[in-house]
Amino acid sequence: MGQPLQNRTQFDPGSSMQVSERKRGLASEIWKHRREYLAISPFYILFAVFGLFPILFSMYLSFQRWDGIGVMTFNGINNYQFMVTDPEFWKAVRNTLLIWIYSTIPMLFFALIIAFLLNASFIKFRTFFRIGFFVPNVTSLVAVAIVFSTVFSNNYGLLNYFLSVFGVSPVEWLNKTWGIQLAVSIMVIWRWVGYNAIIYLAGLQSIPTVLYEAAKIDGATGIQSFFRITIPNLRPIILFTVITSTIGGMQIFTESQVLVGNDGGVSGGGLTIVLYLYREAFVNNYFGYGSAVGWGMFILIALFSLFNWLVVQGGGAKDE
Amino acid sequence: MAKYRALLMCLLLLAFMVSGCSSGSSSKSEVKTLTLWYWNRSLDDNLINEVQKQFPGIRINAQKIGGDFKSKLKTTLAAGSGGPDIVAFNDWVTELFPSADRFYNLYDLGAKDIEGDYLDWKWQLGVTPKDEMIAMPIDTGPTALFYREDLFKQAGLPTDPEEVHLMMDTWEDYFAAGEKLQKALGGKVKLLDNIGQVYNQVNSQSDKVYFDKNENFIGEDPSSSMKKAWDLAVKASQMDLLANAGTFSTEWNAAMNNGKIASYVGAVWSKQILMDAAPDTSGKWRVARAPGGDGNNGGSFLAIMKTSKYPKESFEVMKWLLNSENQVTSFKDLNLFPSASKALDSDLMKMKEEFFGGQATGEIFTESARNVKPSYFGTKYSNLNGIVNRELSSVALEGKNSDKAWKDALSRVKKELLR
Amino acid sequence: MVKRKSAILLYIGLIIGLVISIFPFYWLAVMATRTTAEIYSFPPKFWFGTHLISNVTRVFDNVDFFGAFLNSLFVASCSTLLVLFFDSLAGFTFAKFNFPGKKWLFVLLLATMMAPSQLSLVPSFVIMAKFGWVGSFKALIIPGMANAFGIFWIRQYAQESVPSELLDAGRIDGCSFFRLYWNVAIPILRPALSFLGAFTFIGSWNDYLWPLIILNDESKFTLQVALSSLNGIYVTDYAMVVAGTMLAVIPLIILFLFVSKQFISDIAAGAIKS
Repeated sequence: MGQPLQNRTQFDPGSSMQVSERKRGLASEIWKHRREYLAISPFYILFAVFGLFPILFSMYLSFQRWDGIGVMTFNGINNYQFMVTDPEFWKAVRNTLLIWIYSTIPMLFFALIIAFLLNASFIKFRTFFRIGFFVPNVTSLVAVAIVFSTVFSNNYGLLNYFLSVFGVSPVEWLNKTWGIQLAVSIMVIWRWVGYNAIIYLAGLQSIPTVLYEAAKIDGATGIQSFFRITIPNLRPIILFTVITSTIGGMQIFTESQVLVGNDGGVSGGGLTIVLYLYREAFVNNYFGYGSAVGWGMFILIALFSLFNWLVVQGGGAKDE
Repeated sequence: MAKYRALLMCLLLLAFMVSGCSSGSSSKSEVKTLTLWYWNRSLDDNLINEVQKQFPGIRINAQKIGGDFKSKLKTTLAAGSGGPDIVAFNDWVTELFPSADRFYNLYDLGAKDIEGDYLDWKWQLGVTPKDEMIAMPIDTGPTALFYREDLFKQAGLPTDPEEVHLMMDTWEDYFAAGEKLQKALGGKVKLLDNIGQVYNQVNSQSDKVYFDKNENFIGEDPSSSMKKAWDLAVKASQMDLLANAGTFSTEWNAAMNNGKIASYVGAVWSKQILMDAAPDTSGKWRVARAPGGDGNNGGSFLAIMKTSKYPKESFEVMKWLLNSENQVTSFKDLNLFPSASKALDSDLMKMKEEFFGGQATGEIFTESARNVKPSYFGTKYSNLNGIVNRELSSVALEGKNSDKAWKDALSRVKKELLR
Repeated sequence: MVKRKSAILLYIGLIIGLVISIFPFYWLAVMATRTTAEIYSFPPKFWFGTHLISNVTRVFDNVDFFGAFLNSLFVASCSTLLVLFFDSLAGFTFAKFNFPGKKWLFVLLLATMMAPSQLSLVPSFVIMAKFGWVGSFKALIIPGMANAFGIFWIRQYAQESVPSELLDAGRIDGCSFFRLYWNVAIPILRPALSFLGAFTFIGSWNDYLWPLIILNDESKFTLQVALSSLNGIYVTDYAMVVAGTMLAVIPLIILFLFVSKQFISDIAAGAIKS
């Protein structure tokens, strides 16, 4: 699944310099690429030291009963059984997917548009706009939560104020499931549109202008060059944003927690998978169970990311 | 080449700085440093600073830890090291009873000698069913009825705390008065804040809620207040007496300041929240004994971690910080309501308060504090309470059928008990 | 004429987006100048109040703001420099070289991003305790100094933007592996690096739960940890918290003002290719 990604020829000293040589053993092959391995090694070393143990530990923990302090007792697959039969878990899965859909699609769409506008040659004050759009991402979540709770507040909220100006009766946003989900999604969109726009912009600017000039000479319209030049060249970047926002979206936590608390608000409308995990582990003291939820979630994210990868890659094949 | 060197220098410098950070822990053997974890306003900072003067040879490394105090404490306990000597607990102290061996038994350090100085019900909250004392009382949270005198008057209800208490002695009478009040004020004002608060307050007035001392579930037993509290909470919602503002949320603060809520039952420490949030209503509030009886919400504790090298010194410091004189000081500085009986007799309790129209609310809360019934919470108290409260909010806000909600709550509770 | 009209429309669109984007920050600033009760008043007050000084003074009285500021600056700067170096090296290698096992190593790298970090809070702390790093900045800097996110980003960016022909040419000229990275790739990767740098710095600056659990000495508290201590369990001085929060955001915005030029100045990168 990694291979189709490389749609450009690769620089490969092994094949380009010594084509005539016979098949060598794996060891010498690895030795020949020692510099490459050295270059990527820091991540894997750090992962082995700091990342592997937590993962194995949580795997072990997911089969235990543990309140986080006392002794662990073996619990078989009970944690997993409880998870798949707990309606709150499935509610959390559903909420997460809904919030992900409400937030990610508009977020990436607006980001692409903003990036495109900012990349247009006639736009002035580009730096100014760029900073403006990136400010939300700089702001800490505590600040975001404070601001958004005043926006959506039932009693003193800005939104209800504007409604009252137009004679509409106030809505208790944070006392409704859909209202909470909407508020969380808007928080996510607000925080990440500018960030994704900057990513797209960086991608757009790395596309050589000569390509567009050549296309213009060949009589291509703006729309044609968008689909023939921009999109194909931007594909690795789009893939990056889709994958990272899938992973990030599945892990939405703090936005919900700061806005509606550990229970996810009314009827658990803002209860996401990670919030559920956090509540069960750190609030209700089921650390073994929390680990099981973490693994359930890992599988969901992996399936979802794979699906997204295939969609983005598949779309690419048709264009070329 | 210059670029290489610059990069190398940069990395070296970094390595140097990073490693340099961890050095420097050479203290003289005479000075004993006690680390204390607490949160803002749980202890009086002036008193903590005075410990050094009071106990020569002891240095206090006091660390204020914010919102996720419990997560930090639990992570440290799970890892088994890196904790403080003295640590503050909130009313979740019972969750730590199964891990009582991770804390010093204060009875072993001489706590028996001072037991009589403290309110018994509060003291017992820090003692496990096996009679190990893991936590020592800081403050208490006796409850009472906070009400808007001006709104009560407008509605033709009694306004004097004595009379209010007499007329609204039970929750049912209180609700009936509320109905009258809401009608008289044209529906702009609600009697109470939210459904969960009714449920929790009724339970806090009782000595039997979810568990007995053997950790058996007693919620369905007639002696438990669980169903009674549920029914009263549902009734308040059906009578449309609730403003649906989450307790002490920003929403709540706003509703109080804007005069949308005429009363609530709450602990003494909510006075400070009310005064900060609703200065516009200053002088209009009064406090009366709560409908349904006296109760307690919250109030914190101090404990000594088993990993501490200085349990004796820690205990002495705690004993001093929490003696009745210093509790009076903390009450004066921070409104921390005393847990030591002698401190309740202080003249400070008779101080008149402007925010409450010159009423001395300390007298009401002192009475309430003396009448709280000792109760056992059980280690899974907050898990169960969370489940019931979630169902209640569905009833109040999404119109869920209350019988179905009760059934769902009970079946989820039973599932929880088997975990 | 049509062009002009559409340009104006585009500007209007951008400006509306900009207002929505900046408004919450403006709102934070307004709240920081008001008392707690004013924040809750209805109808809302849209203009600045007069309590900024008193709110900020209370923040300074309660936390060692400048000490915490320096701690945050140190941690965030160290993290950013290390991340930039290790991630760009690895990302570039993944994008432009072939070696046995590359595909699976990369899948593994992506998979590590999928485990929720809340899950590893306890075991990670256990490791830090074993290393004796509890209470040390090392625990905040070292584990994240080469991260999957940054490597993934640099790889995706380098794939299209670093021309293989240029690397071939460099190779023929006798450039070593590191020279190819340093002299050929880095200049082209600059816009991607400045983005990664800003993002890493912001992430480290705003990180809260892990530093809260790791740091045990008030003199080492980072800004977010110090500010969180303003929250009481029962009573919170809301106006003070808002003021503190705003103060913590300002340095980041100033930093971003400096870095953001980088994002734009690199149209030159395209020139190399043409």
